[in-house]
This record gives sequence, C-alpha cells and structure tokens, in this order.
Amino acid sequence: MIVLPLAKRLITTAITGLAVTCLTLAACQPATAASPDHPDPATIARGQYLARLADCEACHTAPGGMPFAGGRPFEIPGMGTLYASNITPDPASGIGAWSDDEFVRAVRAGISPGWKHLYPAMPYQDYARMTPDEIRAIRAYLTTIKPVARKPPANAIRFPFSIRAIMIGWNLFNGPSSSYPDDPSHTPQWNRGRTLVEGPGHCAECHSPRNLTMGTSHSHAYAGAITAGWTAYNLSSDLKSGLGSWSDEALNAYLTTGHANGHGTAAGPMAEVISYSLRFMTQSDRAAMITYLRSLAPQPSAESQDHSAGPTQAALARGASLFAGACSGCHLTTGAGRQIDFATISGASTLKDPDGHNLIQVILEGSQLTTDQGQISMPRFGAGYSDGDLSDIAAYTLLTLGKTRPAFDTNAVSTIKNSK
Amino acid sequence: MLTVRVNNTDYQADVTPDTPLLWVLRDVLGLTGTKFGCGIAECGACTVHLDGKAVRACSLPVGLLNGRPVTTIEGIGNDPLAQAVQKAWMDIDVVQCGYCQPGQIMSAIALLRDNPHPTDTDIDAAMSGNICRCGTYLRIRQAIHNAAGLSA
Repeated sequence: MIVLPLAKRLITTAITGLAVTCLTLAACQPATAASPDHPDPATIARGQYLARLADCEACHTAPGGMPFAGGRPFEIPGMGTLYASNITPDPASGIGAWSDDEFVRAVRAGISPGWKHLYPAMPYQDYARMTPDEIRAIRAYLTTIKPVARKPPANAIRFPFSIRAIMIGWNLFNGPSSSYPDDPSHTPQWNRGRTLVEGPGHCAECHSPRNLTMGTSHSHAYAGAITAGWTAYNLSSDLKSGLGSWSDEALNAYLTTGHANGHGTAAGPMAEVISYSLRFMTQSDRAAMITYLRSLAPQPSAESQDHSAGPTQAALARGASLFAGACSGCHLTTGAGRQIDFATISGASTLKDPDGHNLIQVILEGSQLTTDQGQISMPRFGAGYSDGDLSDIAAYTLLTLGKTRPAFDTNAVSTIKNSK
Repeated sequence: MLTVRVNNTDYQADVTPDTPLLWVLRDVLGLTGTKFGCGIAECGACTVHLDGKAVRACSLPVGLLNGRPVTTIEGIGNDPLAQAVQKAWMDIDVVQCGYCQPGQIMSAIALLRDNPHPTDTDIDAAMSGNICRCGTYLRIRQAIHNAAGLSA
C-alpha cells in the first residue's frame, strides 16, 4: 500500500503550503479550500457537467423514483433483467463507502469493489475515454446528491450470464482500452467531438447494431439499431437514412431542444437523452459533436424485415377518421403542430420507417421531453384505443404524413404487445 | 410576469412560462367562457384562437405564445363571421347541455375563415377534435352550412 503514505504526504504538503499561504495572505479563507472530502465548487460544477454528458441520471433513476437512487429495470433479451444501481452517497445502499479510486475503476473498467464485474449495460467501455480526473469530478458531484437508503431489486439474470466473471472474456473483445489518444490528423474540434460521442455520450450503445458477442459493431458503426422496442436511427452520413440530409442548423436545434423543423421531435429514449443530457451541452461541445457525427462513414440502414401485405383500404379509412379525432388536436391533419412547434411531426424519421416501430411505440407509450421552456408531453394512447384502432392510425399516419407505404397491418400493435 | 394579449387587451400574469394558457384564462384572468375538458387536447372544449387559428388552450404553454394574440369566446361578439355563426347556432338550437359549445363555435369560426364554403367532409375533418357528449354533431354540421350561407 504505497498509495496511502503518498496521499498522506501530499495532504501534509498541501496543508503546510496552505498554512504558509494563509500567513502570507491575511485575507485567506481556509473554509473554501478543497480537500478530498469537500471538493471545491468548480470541481463539483465540472462533475455535474460531465455527469450530464454521460447521462448518468437517466439510467440510475427508476420511473418516478429519487434521482440517482437506481432501480430502473433493463430487460436484456436472452439474459434477464438488470436493475440500475443506487449511486447516491448513502454508505449502505449507494456508493458512499467507495473510495474515489474504486469509483474510477468501476466507471472506467467495469469492476466495482470486491472485484465484482459490472454488466456492460453500464457503458464503462465508453466511459473509459474519460480521464480518471474527469471521473473523480463526477464523483465529487455525486457526493452532493441527496443520499437515498434504498437498495434496488436484485438482478434476475439467467445462468451462465449470472456469473459476473464472464465479463472478463467479454471485455477481451469489447472492453475498454487503456488510452484513447487524440488523432493528430484531425482538428481539435473533431477530436473533442469523438470524445463526446464515443465516450460520455455513449451514442453507439443504442445507435450501432450489435455484433456476435453483443458488443457494438464497428463494421456497421452507427447504422441504427432497435433497443427495447425503439429504433435508434442511423447516425452515419448516409444521405437516405442517416444524418446526411440534416443541416448543421437542424442538428444543432435537435440536440439543443429535441426538435428540428422538418425532422420532428425526439421521443422515447432519445427524449430522455435530450432531457437529461444533451440540452445542457455548451455551444462549443455541441459544435464539436456535430463535426464528429458529420465524419461518420455512410452506412445503409437494415432493410425492413416485415413482409406482411400492409394495411387494407378499409383500415386506412378507419385510420383517417380516428386520426382526425385523436391526433389532430395537436398535429392538425397535416402533421403541423396545432399549438406548438414540438408537435410538428412532418419529416420525422419515424414517419419514414415502413415498420413503424417508433410510431407505434410513441402512440402506445406517449413521450416526455423536458426543454428549457418546460415539459412537452404526448399522452399515451395505448389504454384508450383498441390494438386494431392504433395500428390503423399508425398506418394512415405513415402513408399520408410520411408518404411511406406501411409494411404492417391491423394486427401490428397486438403483435408488439404479445412479443413483450 | 408574462404579458398575454387576449381579446385585444394586454394582461400581466404572474405565472411560470410552462403554465397552460387555459389556466391563465380561467384562473388568472377570470375568462371562464373557455372550458376545461380533458387537459390533453383530445376533446376541444378549450378551443380558442391564436392568430386566428383554432388551438387547444389546455396544451399551449403561455411561454410559447411569444406575443401572438389570443381570442376567446368572450372576444368574438363584434366579428361579422362570428355573429353569423352565433345566429346559425341559435336559429336551429344546436346547444343541448352547452359545455362543449364555446369550443365548437371557436372551431367553426376558424374553419369558415379558412374555408368559407366547406363540404360535409371538410366539416367532419375540421370538427373531429371537438367532442360533444350530447351528440349535437348533426346540428353543428347543419349550423356551419347555414352560417356559410349567412356570411356569403
């Protein structure tokens, strides 16, 4: 244990230095001095910014639960259910008893105290791109969160995945590298953007397809993928289905507010990312992120898997009359927002997907987006309409507002519900 | 303090920007002609005009008005088109319980302003978002046709 004496010596040196400075400067106020237990406000503010970039709160908060207290369930197909951990400073239920070094190792290497290997639903493989110093700043911020003395439910993971040591093998293929140096052939802005996207932003976790070991695919990076029933769209520079058709202005507006004219409004998991994370980015970080996203090699999106005959004329007619009653209160009959621009859905990727994944999800589940102008929400329609009605509304919406032929029929919503 | 222009008068309202316009109209300004129905823009009872277009006041945060003028059922008395709609409504006694009718009338006026001679299909499309639990739909449709004739 070399660390402790060294730390003690450093602290002693610091205290001696502080005392000397205090003697020199009569106005010195020791109460504002930083120590490991009482980080200075600048470090806390930096940690909060980094925690937002990394979107810690969205996953570590249960629906309607206390912030950072964990308990949010994650269903992993074929494996079982994981529950996000409590990362409040409570010593028993949270991470209050962890040292800073233990915290850094958990976040960057996926190993929590006692050599407990984390499952990569916690994207340590991406967070490793943040420096230990940055992770310590996040820790400093987390110590200011209200402690919550509640343990999340135990994970319900199937054998053999219940053996955490399996992750040692996974890490060999997909795990974190030791360092991620800047690429000198690119601008500092591009490098910053890469750090944001590949590191704290962990965009690939949803937007890249998975490889055979369930890691993110590098050969089809950012080609889009389906996670928990929602499609994370293609972020590559593909003109047809990627970001190639987006202007910088539109990307900037979308990343700031969750809405861009001609591209609709973020919903589902992306609305969470905007609400908890992206809208807090500085203008220069946002510009860097856009610069890097622009440089992603074009990748075609996967073709529609659904080969059903599509909706009948009767289904579309029923969809039209239901849309006029249920949807036009906010979206008019043209897809333009009646009350607010956030309800303008024309041009959204969701209206160009023949499988209608996100369209059906947002109709069933609704959506919540937090903006600087307050909460923007779409109510859930899943409880008030029959499955057939909802499928017909979706088919009509896709065809008329998205000019896209639906690859699903009246049974689409029942099929989705039964697959859950 | 937010400034809200309603029926050609500027009002000061001490509310947060995400307060729905309907709450400001009814609870702050006392303009209770506009009704609360569902609160999620599904029923049309709270329909008012924003820049002349029919909008649901329950789902419009006042912070997003940006100075655009609002007209409520209380503010339409001097408008010839609105007078024609009101007369058409009275001529055939459209109203039963009346709760949804301020919203129905505001939607009808907005429709006729955009489309002075709507067909049944036009009327059904424009009025679908206004629910009437007394089922006065047929009389509403007839009154809109009659008002189109009156104002022509």
